[in-house]
Amino acid sequence: MIVARTPSDLSLALSQTIVGQPGVIEALLLALLANGHVLLEGPPGLAKTLACRSLAAALEGDFKRIQFTPDLLPSDIVGTRIFDQRESAFATVLGPIFANVVLADEINRAPAKVQSALLEAMQERQVTIGPQSYALPDPFVVMATMNPLDSEGTYALPIAQMDRFLMKVNVGYPSPEEELRILDRFAVADTQPVRAVATLDDVRRWRAQAHGVHIDEKLKRYIVELVATTRKAGGVTVVSNSGGTFRVADLIDYGASPRATLALAFLSRGRALLDGRDFALPDDVRAIAPHALRHRIGFNYRLAVEGINPDAAIEAMIAAVPAP
Amino acid sequence: MVRRAAALAFFVAFLASAGSAPAQGLARLTVVSFALASDTNVPRIEVPFRLILTLRVRERVSQIANINLPMLAQLELLGDERETVTGPRGTQYRETITVVAHQAGGIAIAPATLQAIDARDGKPKEWYTNGLTLRVAGAGPHVLRDALQLLRAIALALFWVLLWLFGIGCIVLAAVLIFRRRRRPAVVTYVPPPVPPRLPIVVRSRREQAEDALAVLRTERSRPAAVAVRAAIWRMVGASDGETLGDVLQRPDSHDEITRQLLIALERSAFTYDDDLPRAIDDACSALERYIGAAP
Repeated sequence: MIVARTPSDLSLALSQTIVGQPGVIEALLLALLANGHVLLEGPPGLAKTLACRSLAAALEGDFKRIQFTPDLLPSDIVGTRIFDQRESAFATVLGPIFANVVLADEINRAPAKVQSALLEAMQERQVTIGPQSYALPDPFVVMATMNPLDSEGTYALPIAQMDRFLMKVNVGYPSPEEELRILDRFAVADTQPVRAVATLDDVRRWRAQAHGVHIDEKLKRYIVELVATTRKAGGVTVVSNSGGTFRVADLIDYGASPRATLALAFLSRGRALLDGRDFALPDDVRAIAPHALRHRIGFNYRLAVEGINPDAAIEAMIAAVPAP
Repeated sequence: MVRRAAALAFFVAFLASAGSAPAQGLARLTVVSFALASDTNVPRIEVPFRLILTLRVRERVSQIANINLPMLAQLELLGDERETVTGPRGTQYRETITVVAHQAGGIAIAPATLQAIDARDGKPKEWYTNGLTLRVAGAGPHVLRDALQLLRAIALALFWVLLWLFGIGCIVLAAVLIFRRRRRPAVVTYVPPPVPPRLPIVVRSRREQAEDALAVLRTERSRPAAVAVRAAIWRMVGASDGETLGDVLQRPDSHDEITRQLLIALERSAFTYDDDLPRAIDDACSALERYIGAAP
């Protein structure tokens, strides 16, 4: 019996299964509400697959996992046409992308044409196989992962492709207390499967509600100013790991695109809805800004040379813009 | 290469003209001197220099023929200039050949020849100039010399600029000194300004500030009033402009539940949609009343 009817109920249900990754849960829910996709960067073993599988199970939706490898082909993702000898006709076999929740594991291990096939499907929400186009399921959310530790033999995602992800979340290790809870919960023979707490219709309804969340004029100007700061970070400074102070403007090749402005608005609405509000606050914008901007700002070589954490530079830019 | 080929052609043309000389007949000349010289013994790569052929004869003639120049295969011919000067003491023929070397090293130039009938004994003869041995030097010293000249020119220009600036500075300094000396005020006695009567400092309590805010919000139930009240209450709890609700709730003055509820209600009234604004202002007024009731 399905009892939950609000996004926060779904969040609670997921957090009872996934321990120590509140950022991943929030990112997945925000992507679901804002009708976008998430890029996760973090080492392996941080419950990314579990999170996706649990989300699909909690929504009674389909879940598919695609492991990206250098020999993967676009047809391995979107599907292909095969000749049926009995029928003497071509039949279409849909690929694993036809699911409500898709985990694209280590997306940077596949060559550019495969990445493009996935990202195009993410954008268009439909796939063309042979002469016919097929609409992807609704809701459809892709969670792509990248492993920052092992970059050998990988194909970096171009900025234009990264821009298609609504947000990029850096996944860190859980705290010792959370790890103890993980040990207690999962080091047993039988783990409890996630029960369904909402339906796909609920998700579509929540999405409509998120769309109606009010963003005040002051908040819109705040969002625009935040994005503009990434393009012209006037007097913003950041401190490197060695203690040196640097102008952020000297570290940036190009700032965030207008897609970042839209992403900030969508995500703020989603966060407000998760919090049970029908209006967004400056706190919503400030909380999701690092995730919406992280993958959309082009830092130059000086950032790495001077040992500056890109997130520290982004935080400095966000802090430099006064909230309304 | 093209110019070197032109030099060879020039030499071949001279040979051809020498070959046809017997047909034209040799001139009767009393040769006084016949010499070949260079304007430098150490020419430099890519720097033009001149070979000078000089012939002096006692006769007064308008032109000199049948002179054969040496082959200049290692040099590039840039120009050839001939000059014949006739005077009471005979004729002087001078030919200046401008050439340039493209490679460093030794160059041996063979003697030039003159075919004529010796006027002393009436027999045809051939005269030879001296040969030349030149050593072509590299371009280094030349480039250095140019660079030195450039540096010297820059230094000179800089010197003049500094001299001008120094002069202008002296004039400005003198003008400032004169101006100051003229405007130096007369010595005056310091008179302290009258001390205004000390007024009692009015410190409004938080309760009074909240009462003011409530009065404003009840009088003007609009978004600008809600925003102004929010800013006033935020200042009251020590927050500065540009902070978010999350920042303000972290402050020590916001830890009690009544203040938190007040701050959250004011945030709602500042950012909610227009239809919800009256209810948000009502909630904010209620939160203010609770705050006033609980304030000491």
